[in-house]
Amino acid sequence: MRWLRASGLAALARAALPLLLLAALWEAAVALLHISPFYLPPLRQVLGAMLALWPAYQEAFLVTLGEAVVGFLAGALVGIASACAFHHARWLRDMLFPLFVASQTVPVIAFGAIVVLWFGNTLLAKAAIAFYLTFFPVTVNALAGIEAVDPRQVALLRSFGASRRDIWWKLLLPSALPRIFTALRLSAGLALAGAIVGEWFGASIGVGAMLLAALFNEQVVAMWAAILAAAGVGGTIFAAVALLEGRLVFWRDEL
Amino acid sequence: MTNAADQLDQLLTVGEAPAARTKLQLRGVSRRFGAVQALAKVDLGIAEGEFVTLIGPSGCGKSTLFNIVAGLLEADPGGEVLLDGAPASLLGKVAFMPQRDLLLPWRNVLDNAILAAEVEGRPKREARELARAMAADFGLKGFENHYPQQLSGGMRQRVALMRTFLFDRDLMLLDEPFGALDALTRAMMQRWLLDIWSRYRRTILFITHDIDEAIFLGDRVVVMSARPGSIKLERRIDLPRPRDPALLTTPAFNAIKRELLDAVEEESMKTFASGAA
Repeated sequence: MRWLRASGLAALARAALPLLLLAALWEAAVALLHISPFYLPPLRQVLGAMLALWPAYQEAFLVTLGEAVVGFLAGALVGIASACAFHHARWLRDMLFPLFVASQTVPVIAFGAIVVLWFGNTLLAKAAIAFYLTFFPVTVNALAGIEAVDPRQVALLRSFGASRRDIWWKLLLPSALPRIFTALRLSAGLALAGAIVGEWFGASIGVGAMLLAALFNEQVVAMWAAILAAAGVGGTIFAAVALLEGRLVFWRDEL
Repeated sequence: MTNAADQLDQLLTVGEAPAARTKLQLRGVSRRFGAVQALAKVDLGIAEGEFVTLIGPSGCGKSTLFNIVAGLLEADPGGEVLLDGAPASLLGKVAFMPQRDLLLPWRNVLDNAILAAEVEGRPKREARELARAMAADFGLKGFENHYPQQLSGGMRQRVALMRTFLFDRDLMLLDEPFGALDALTRAMMQRWLLDIWSRYRRTILFITHDIDEAIFLGDRVVVMSARPGSIKLERRIDLPRPRDPALLTTPAFNAIKRELLDAVEEESMKTFASGAA
C-alpha cells in the first residue's frame, strides 16, 4: 500500500477511501438486509433529498459552521490565555480553576436555555454555547503542556539572560502546541455540538434546526440528511485544525 | 558573509598567552536548602583561559555549585562570587551548557545554535551567518537545516556546544556534556573539544564523573568532598598539550589517576555510608 503514503493526493485518497467504503456498506446493507427505510433509508435517497434542496442545506451548513467556528475560536483563545495566566500566577489559578471545573458540571442544555434567554436567537447565542464547551478542554490541555516543559530548559534560557517574554514565546508556547492541538481537535466536535444545541432553542436556520424539524415531522430521510450535513460541518472544522497542526507541529511525530 | 567571517575571525583569535588574571573567584561560598547543607565554604579560583575539570561523588552539591556560577541560584550570605575581580550577578554572563542537550525540536541546527545569540538581541540573519560559518568546526557542515531528532547523540551535543560558544562569554560552564554518549563517541568528542578550546580560547569549568576525562581535558582537576560539598583537593595536570589518546596509558597519567581515585573513593565511601548515594 505504498502508493497510499506518497503525496497530498494520496492523503486525500486515504481520507476518502474509508468514506466511500462506508457509503457502499450502507447501500449494500439496506438492499441486502431489507432494512426498513424508517430505520435506515438508502444513502441514495438521503443524498437525493439533499440535492433537491441544495440551497437550503448549503445555507444551514454555512450558518452552523459560522456559529461553531466563532465559538471554537473564542474558546481556543480564552483557553490558551487562561492557561498562560494560570501558569503565570498561581493564586489566579487557585481562585479561578475551581470555577472553571464547576462551570462544566452544569449541563449544556440548561446553560443553553439561559444563553438563548439572554442573547435571543442570534449567532452570538450559539457561539456562546460552543464556546462554553470548548474553552475548558483547551485550558486544561494548554496548561498541562506548559507545565510539562523541562525546568532545565527554562533554566538554560534564563542563563542566556532571557526575559519572561522570551521564555514564553521561544519555549513555553511552542512546547505546549502539541497538547493544545490535541484539545483543539477534541473541541472541533464539541463546538459543533454546542452550535446544534443552541439552534434547538428556536432557531429556524441551521443544521440543528433542520434536525429538530425533521424529528418533529418524522421525516427520517431529512434527519439523515441533517446528520450528514452536521458531519460535514464537524469534518470541515476538524480538517482545518489538522491542516494547521501539520504545519505548526511538524516535529510532533518525531518526539 | 564577510561580516560573519570577520566575526568568526574575532571569535577564533587566540588572545595573548593567558596571563594569570583570575576570571572567576569563589570565596567561602555556601548554600543551604532547609536542613540540608549542600555547599560549605567553597573556595575556587579559575584563571583566564584555564580549563578546570571538577569531579566529586554523586550528591556532593556539584549542581548547586554550577547553578550558583551560572547565576541561577544565589549563594548564602557571607560568600563571595567574583567575576573579573568584581562581585556581579552572573545571570547572562556565563555560557552554561547543561547535561542534556536541551535542543528545541521545532528549531533546526542553525536556529538551535543561535538561540542564545537571539535572546541577546543579535539579529537573526547575522547570527545565522555566524553559525553557518562555525558549522564546519563543529562537524555539522551539511546538517545546518536538519532537526535535532534527525541527529545522532554526538551531533546533538555538538549543536548544544555550538550554541554555548555562540553565546559569546569568556567563562563557559559545561555540566557533564558527554555523560550520555557511548565511550567511543565520547573519546572523539573530548579530543574535538580540546581542539576547539585551543582555537577559541575560553575559560572552561567542566563537570564530570569520569576521572580519565577530567585528567585528559583539564589544566587542573578539582575534587569535591561529599556533602556538604567543598573543595577537597586541587591537582594541577602538567601533562603536555596537545594531548592525544596515547596519553591515557602513560605512567604519568596513571600516577595522577591513582592519586585522584583515592581522593574520590574516600569521598564516595562517605556518601555511601551516610546513605545519600
